[in-house]
Amino acid sequence: MSTAAMIPTGLPADPDSAPNSGVDPNTDKPRSDFKRTGRMTLYVRRFFRRPSAVVGLVMLVILLFFALVGSHLTKWAYDQPDFTALSDPPSADHWLGTTTGGSDMYALIIRGLGRSLSIGFISSIAITIIAAFIGTAIAYFEGAVEKVGMWLLDMLLVVPSFLLIALIISGSTGGNDWIWLIFGLTAFGWVGYARTLRTLTLSLREREYIKAAKYMGVPAFRIILRHLIPNLGSVLVINTVLGVVSAVNSETALSFLGLGIKAPDTSLGTLLNNGQSIILTAPWVLLFPSIVLILLTFSVQLIGDGLRDAIDPYSRSAGKAE
Amino acid sequence: MIKYILKRCFNYVIMLFIATSMTYFLASAFMDPRSNYMSRHPHPPIASINRSLDLANINDQTPVIVRYGRWLTGIVTRWNWGLSPEQSPINGAIAPRILASVQLVTVATVLSIIFGVSIGVYTAIRQYKWQDRTLNSIATFFLVIPTAVLGLVIVYLAVSMNNGIGQRIFYVTGLHSYSGGNPFAWFLDLLQHLVLPTIVMTIPGTVSYHLTQRTYLLDTMNADYVRTARAKGLPLNKAIRRHALRTSLIPTAVDVAFSIASIFTGAVITETVFAINGLGSYFVQAIGDNDINGSVAIAAFGGVCTLTGALLADIFSAWLDPRIRLS
Amino acid sequence: MSNAMEATTDRSAFRSTTPSAVTAAPAAPHAATSHEGEAPVLSVRDLNVSFASEAGTVRAVRGMNFDLYRGKTLGIVGESGSGKSVTSMSIMGLLDSNAHVEGSITWHGEELLTKNDLAMSKIRGKGIAMVFQDPLSALTPVFSIGDQIKESLVIHNPHMGERQIRDRSIELLELVGIPEPEERLKSFPYQFSGGMRQRVMIAMAIANDPDVIIADEPTTALDVTIQAQVLDVLKKAQQETGAAVIFITHDLGVIAGIADDIIVMYTGRPVESAPVDDIFAHPAMPYTMGLLGAVPRSDRERSGRLVPIPGSPTNLVDLPKGCPFADRCPLAIDICRQREPNLEAIPGRPGQFAACHRAGEIVEKGLTFSDVYQVSEGVTSKFAGVAREDRAVALDVQGLVKTFPLTAGGFLRRKIGEVHAVDGVNLEIREGETLALVGESGSGKSTTLSEIMSFTKPQAGSVTIFDTPVDDHVARAKRRELRGMVQYIFQDPMSSLDPRLPIYDILAEPLRAQHKSREEIRVRIEELMTLVELNPDQVDRFPTQFSGGQRQRIAIARALAVSPKLLLLDEPVSALDVSIQAGVINLLEDLQNKLGIAYLFVAHNLSVVRHISNRIAVMYLGRIVESGSTAEVFLHPKHPYTQALLSAVPVPDPAIERRRARTVLQGELPSPSETFTGCPFAGRCPLFVSLSKEAQQRCLNERPGLTARADTDPDHLAACHWV
Repeated sequence: MSTAAMIPTGLPADPDSAPNSGVDPNTDKPRSDFKRTGRMTLYVRRFFRRPSAVVGLVMLVILLFFALVGSHLTKWAYDQPDFTALSDPPSADHWLGTTTGGSDMYALIIRGLGRSLSIGFISSIAITIIAAFIGTAIAYFEGAVEKVGMWLLDMLLVVPSFLLIALIISGSTGGNDWIWLIFGLTAFGWVGYARTLRTLTLSLREREYIKAAKYMGVPAFRIILRHLIPNLGSVLVINTVLGVVSAVNSETALSFLGLGIKAPDTSLGTLLNNGQSIILTAPWVLLFPSIVLILLTFSVQLIGDGLRDAIDPYSRSAGKAE
Repeated sequence: MIKYILKRCFNYVIMLFIATSMTYFLASAFMDPRSNYMSRHPHPPIASINRSLDLANINDQTPVIVRYGRWLTGIVTRWNWGLSPEQSPINGAIAPRILASVQLVTVATVLSIIFGVSIGVYTAIRQYKWQDRTLNSIATFFLVIPTAVLGLVIVYLAVSMNNGIGQRIFYVTGLHSYSGGNPFAWFLDLLQHLVLPTIVMTIPGTVSYHLTQRTYLLDTMNADYVRTARAKGLPLNKAIRRHALRTSLIPTAVDVAFSIASIFTGAVITETVFAINGLGSYFVQAIGDNDINGSVAIAAFGGVCTLTGALLADIFSAWLDPRIRLS
Repeated sequence: MSNAMEATTDRSAFRSTTPSAVTAAPAAPHAATSHEGEAPVLSVRDLNVSFASEAGTVRAVRGMNFDLYRGKTLGIVGESGSGKSVTSMSIMGLLDSNAHVEGSITWHGEELLTKNDLAMSKIRGKGIAMVFQDPLSALTPVFSIGDQIKESLVIHNPHMGERQIRDRSIELLELVGIPEPEERLKSFPYQFSGGMRQRVMIAMAIANDPDVIIADEPTTALDVTIQAQVLDVLKKAQQETGAAVIFITHDLGVIAGIADDIIVMYTGRPVESAPVDDIFAHPAMPYTMGLLGAVPRSDRERSGRLVPIPGSPTNLVDLPKGCPFADRCPLAIDICRQREPNLEAIPGRPGQFAACHRAGEIVEKGLTFSDVYQVSEGVTSKFAGVAREDRAVALDVQGLVKTFPLTAGGFLRRKIGEVHAVDGVNLEIREGETLALVGESGSGKSTTLSEIMSFTKPQAGSVTIFDTPVDDHVARAKRRELRGMVQYIFQDPMSSLDPRLPIYDILAEPLRAQHKSREEIRVRIEELMTLVELNPDQVDRFPTQFSGGQRQRIAIARALAVSPKLLLLDEPVSALDVSIQAGVINLLEDLQNKLGIAYLFVAHNLSVVRHISNRIAVMYLGRIVESGSTAEVFLHPKHPYTQALLSAVPVPDPAIERRRARTVLQGELPSPSETFTGCPFAGRCPLFVSLSKEAQQRCLNERPGLTARADTDPDHLAACHWV
């Protein structure tokens, strides 16, 4: 608009830009004196510049593939033991061996992987949604709401959430226990995260566009939804991804202790529990679930780190001057 | 300063009270001690079940608020945390186990903070150099390994090593097996038992403090006042150590407080893996037995741990930060 | 001479320049003029700095050359992104590791660019010291002032004893004018105000008697009265150490008073350099002329419209082939777009150099600002010819009070006092006029604005908007209507526009809050974009895709969306570069004239205030101390505070700056929690000290009311017993 700035009357300098009906995004002419890269392109480019992030993505895609269609690749089902093969080591028939009860390890792992993935992703997303609303709202309303809210959050953090989750799911029985697990992980998992988001909102709420919206009479809920949460977007995306890791870990820990997923259903943690006592006689029962677990958490972590580097403006992955 | 600490203490006591009470109601709502009896075939007469439940003050036919009142009175007046469904007192069961767990948790926490913060500082100063990249990859790897997997792998390796050498160097169950009177042998025996569980608990703590301390330091490293320090004539490394490090330790201190809870979680798993008779294994047992009073007592203890950490963090950050100390 | 210049500044020769070539050629502009025979303390030759970025290589500095002599001050002037700070950071060796530096920087003949961090750290703080822009973040929060000064001393004098360190620290604090230095050594930075911290920074910079002091925008973050104090301290520090000073700023007024020589930078390149008087008296490069002409002056009466430099600064990644200023230059001809001009000596102007193909022509014809830039026509006001009394009152504030409770840390946070942020403020604005509210930070200007915007009943006093008194019982619909009548414009368009929303949604927000229909919103947004001289086709872009000036236009459009009758403007142009400012000021004037909106304009820049406002109210510690028509108050300020404030404003004219006797206020704004029975200004008042004992008692015990003197303009009020 270098010419328009000279014209004092307030009329457009360029006849082409005179009011025309409608707003068509396609008529957007790029400014000749301004070179920019779209934000999304920038993120994608930076993400794929990190080999570890790409490796993580490939690993996760493979795991997802197995979780979705892996059960069709074998004739064994996780809940139908092969009584002719008890504690068999890996073989052509049972690719990853069998348990002491004769269940096919491959089928069990596929099933467990599916459970871990769904528990991890669903609870992480749910946690993010709850934490985002509560964290930003506490910060936004300031004053007494903030004081009381923070006190309550701190209070909820006093008792380790792990114990509370265990309490809740202790009564559940096989079958619906994974839903209770998601509920428990979500119900007690959002608190610390909401606290972090509130801290991040503190600087955001001082931004003038928030004040501007207030002065224009925009309702509080709308300000939270349209301004605060979108501006935490990158943090939310990164933490949702990394939250999957901690949800999977919590699930594993609970199931390993016999408090989470119980038979007849199975999860990777449950399999670890089974393998614990036969660590020396049938190590494959412990080994393969462990490997899959590590692959799962590690791949998600790599993706999360990659996203962080891609989105974080302070990232120094910009490279050197030529 | 003392006034500040006292104020925090007062606040924490109230928090602990409310959190524990909430846990009590939660446990009463979700745990069903009656099912312990009803699942037996044939189940004992209802009247005798009610009698046993009443004795332990966990009868679901008594209004929960009444049970809560009795429970609270017992604690406040006699420091009596109630009975398990089998009528054994909670106090007697918990006290010796606390010692085992606290031993384990304290050593692991102190070691994780020392190692984690040092490595964090070391890598932050060498950001994007090979030391940083290598240590970060290792940390990321250990960060995501579930404690159970880590514990079991270490057990597997230790047992293989014992077998390979033909001598028991590492014990993988319990905390003691020596029963003689030689204090040196007793200590050696304790070490042989303690070393593996401590490693299992130290690794996750170390890597998470490493990564967070690195981030905090990187944040403060680019602060204007570090630039000022360099402009005064301090070389980069010295400027970071003297000016950025201190401010970056404040958020770490807060982190330590809030990670006590996760250390406790780690202890539960570690104790299960190594068959240590601590609070963790007691908790698993209490949940399995629908032991309302036992679970709440452990939750309360967990809360005490968290708040002790929080108080230490308060003191530490007040010591580091004059803005808290002097106001 | 000009051939030699060409040889070293020719871009093809950048990388081949050898030290011997530099010493052979008097490449630096000032070498030839006033310092014959004296060796420079610092020499910069062909400095080129580039950074890697996602968009490409940012060429932050290109072909910088200068020599610095003892006791002299070199001013480097430029807008944001002109490369002035990068230059200073490369001298200090404090650039980020992704910077690529070429050329040569020698200090007493020692090459600095080849030194590593350890070797540089021996020179930093001892030979070359630096004062940074933001004093609030430049001191380590967890160490005491004493420890930080001690550190500067000990780094370079490891054998200094405790006693010596203490004595020297106290001496330094006294030098920079910090009262009670012994006690202050124990204080922490958060207990100091911005101005005090900047004094501490200067004390640390001169601790080891450096021979070069680099001051990078040292007063930009400070109030004008504090700025005057700090500039004095800096001058004193220079006299004390005999150091050469590089003073970096965007403020032409400040530089006029402090520099001996000036280099003007644009897009990383020095475009003009000359002794200070020459630059201000007869600039030869159109950019310099534009910079000088585009700023309003506080010492002159408003003479007409401002003349903005068209366009906005060029992107450093994609530099054009020719002169980077060509796109904005009214004199640009074909060669300007073909070949970048070198910085060359101007025939007949000893010591003056310019990088302009048409410099010769400009000097020959004696072209000045008004010849180069065209003054455009303004809009006549809707209310022209209507007497002030006949216009409706847009905003009437009477006795407005806002206090904040002051609590003590304790179990119950009991209230121990009150902060009187706004203490009985009266304001009246009529349609089509601009009232400027001025004062130092902490004077309560912003609180006054937010109290008006809160639309709730004030603690005391009243706020009336177009005859509707604001109180808590206003109906929802009425309140919405009020919101539609009053809108707000913020200081920083970077921060007042949500970066995640496209312009369309940003402009739609106030309309949606007023429950307008989709169709109404669409039509209105198009009108608005046209109104603020932006292309309506660009509504789908995001704020970051616009330059600072354009963003502020968008913010103005948003405020105008609901056709308000009153605009509150909180420092609307102070975040903008000088060359952009004028355009936005003109736009605001035109809009007011066209739409008849009343402005409440809060600013600390008194030059802008003098230009844009009809009326002015001066605030001090929550009270109005003087008010009246702008022309009258600037010509005959009555209150000693107003007088001091006006005298502290630097004027972009070195001749005037040298002659001026400045009333430098002592001390700082007292803490707002202090209560005063009398005049709150008494503690800093230059008049107070000259009064008799009895008169002083009156100042201390009796609060002066805002009154007019019988023999002068009845509209001109001041709150002082002695005017």
